[in-house]
Amino acid sequence: MEKQSIYESYLKSTHRLGRIVSVITLVLLVGAPFVIGTLLGAQPDLGAVARAFLSVGLVWTVSSVVEFLVYTPMLGSGGSYLAFITGNLINMKIPCAMNAKELVGAKSGTAENEVISTLSIATSALVTIVILALGVVLLIPLQPILQSETLAPAFANVVPALFGAMAYKYYRKDPALAMIPLTVMIILFTLVPSLTSSTSFMIIPSGALAILLAWLKYRKEMKGAAGQ
Amino acid sequence: MTVLEQLNGGGVYLICGSIVAFIAVVCIIFMIRAWRAGKALGMDVTRMKRAVTASATFSVLPSVGILLGVIALSGSLGVPWPWLRLSVIGALHYETQVADAAAEQLGVSLGSGSMTAQAFPTIALLMSICIMWGMILSVLFNKKYLHKLQQGEKTGERKGGGFGDRAMTAMFIGMVSAYIGSYVGEFVSGNKKLFSFSGSWTPLVVVAAAALAMAVFTYFSEKKHMEWLDNFSIAGSMLIGMLAAVLIGR
Repeated sequence: MEKQSIYESYLKSTHRLGRIVSVITLVLLVGAPFVIGTLLGAQPDLGAVARAFLSVGLVWTVSSVVEFLVYTPMLGSGGSYLAFITGNLINMKIPCAMNAKELVGAKSGTAENEVISTLSIATSALVTIVILALGVVLLIPLQPILQSETLAPAFANVVPALFGAMAYKYYRKDPALAMIPLTVMIILFTLVPSLTSSTSFMIIPSGALAILLAWLKYRKEMKGAAGQ
Repeated sequence: MTVLEQLNGGGVYLICGSIVAFIAVVCIIFMIRAWRAGKALGMDVTRMKRAVTASATFSVLPSVGILLGVIALSGSLGVPWPWLRLSVIGALHYETQVADAAAEQLGVSLGSGSMTAQAFPTIALLMSICIMWGMILSVLFNKKYLHKLQQGEKTGERKGGGFGDRAMTAMFIGMVSAYIGSYVGEFVSGNKKLFSFSGSWTPLVVVAAAALAMAVFTYFSEKKHMEWLDNFSIAGSMLIGMLAAVLIGR
């Protein structure tokens, strides 16, 4: 019984600490662009931020809500506060914590899982921080090369490079479904070339179409499964 | 002094570095607390040690992959800002896309030459705002949500399975389609002339090169059981796509 009360007071203080550091981190991250802006002699254009938020921001807001609902139970309280502060969830923190959990055989929702996932995520975040700090120090002398004329086309094409890689990753999960929004978007952008200056806004109809198609397919499968 | 030189200046390093340092301290505090709680709860110390060692080794390769992401973004946003974003909060695909969308609103593009002192703070602010929901939801609902789950059944490990996973995949399919569609439109109906085929085809080649690289990464990681390659697949494919742009030279 004594262990139960130790655990409960640990959880209680974890929630308090987690909330405090999350709020501080939020303030720091939102404040930083204003401080850097002061150094550069320019402040953020809030109108542009609002417009861009309405297009891309909404997509990432939905994905944040899903991530919160799915990952919080897996990671426990301490682990999830830390994970949402330190990021890189799907590509590192989640598999890392799952790996640690399996290694020691901890079950979701137990005190053991709470401790192990916090240890795992804190360790993982610290390793990233150290490796990136070392990497950045090594990058400083490479600056002239990175900013050379020869490499300029590379940096001008970061976005197509990202979407090429993501296209293979996601299209192969459901190629038949992917062909429809892709074709519609190709036709639209070809016939209305002026849309290319608002590509990020076009994510909304394109994403809505893909989600609608996925929903229709899902419902059909569920009906098929129920009918059997 | 160019904007990029300013973005790589000591002041920006100091701001970003202090935030990274703050979060490192937070991680250490959480770690010490969890360790002490584990001991107080009578957990086996060797098992806790194992969890820490396994997590440290597990994180090395993905972290190198993340470092490649810093390099990919450094040409347009300087080194310190991507360093902060990727060290502590973001993920490469998120940061790149949001930065690009903000740049689009401002009429600049994420290339080395076109960043302006006016554009950067706006882009940086949007990058901060779009990803803060995980933290906000944690502050508001983490306690209640976990409490509710505890009171309910303890089995529900995979909440939001079913359609949730598919909706996420579909959302990304839609997002990718919009961008690829725009590259096709840009080339086919370039310079605002329908079917002139006079636009730039470089983005299309870059998309193809990056997708091909991703296919090769996936083949080796899935068929040849080299799962560690997954850690480099996105950043590696991006760098290969970017290399294609350098080879074309425009």
